[in-house]
Amino acid sequence: MKEIIAIIRPKKIGPTKDALEKLGFPSVTVASVLGRGKQRGIAGEISCDISQEVLLQSNSKRMEYIPKRELSIVVKDSDVDTIVKTIIDINQTCQIGDGKIFICPVDNAVRVRTDEEGEQAVL
Amino acid sequence: MKMIRAIVRPEAADGVTAGLGEAGFFSLTKMHVFGRGKQKGITAGTIHYDELPKTMIMIVVEDKDVDKVIKLIKYKAYSGNFGDGKVFITTVEDAYTVRTGSKGL
Repeated sequence: MKEIIAIIRPKKIGPTKDALEKLGFPSVTVASVLGRGKQRGIAGEISCDISQEVLLQSNSKRMEYIPKRELSIVVKDSDVDTIVKTIIDINQTCQIGDGKIFICPVDNAVRVRTDEEGEQAVL
Repeated sequence: MKMIRAIVRPEAADGVTAGLGEAGFFSLTKMHVFGRGKQKGITAGTIHYDELPKTMIMIVVEDKDVDKVIKLIKYKAYSGNFGDGKVFITTVEDAYTVRTGSKGL
């Protein structure tokens, strides 16, 4: 089993969930997080004009952290490639701030209701 | 690659991220969490707080940088009292950039 942790734009969470549901992976966990990437946080990512006066008032010229959504989903090894491809397809805007996807190994999973373990628990 | 999850005091989080930035690790994710440790929360006077607010800093780095990052977090988040937090390290097998679809950090 693998856990796929995707950090994506907040407004893309709906389309991503819909696409994953169509593929047959309706179970996801989503958390709202703050983050920054290689660009160290950026003001240009927000699509509105910030007046020069407001920029002068603030100490820094940029946004320290950008709000993002963290989507985490645990799946079988064989499904990882499909899901990564789907997430990339849906979230790609070709602009800075599209996000990152991490794939981590999961040793075991337990379904609380039925005590099932391993891959049965995430199916 | 390794994922480092550090659960630190909320007031220490900015210091930690600033320190990481100075050392060249700009990319990170942080979130507000609630938790308790070995001390089962805290009792202040007659009121017992079961879960305390903390900030979780999540950062993925190459294997060779792990020690450096942990050392930095330990230094920046240290106050010497209970509740300074914990650092967890887990394996990350793959990382993709959504914009380009390329592998790697």
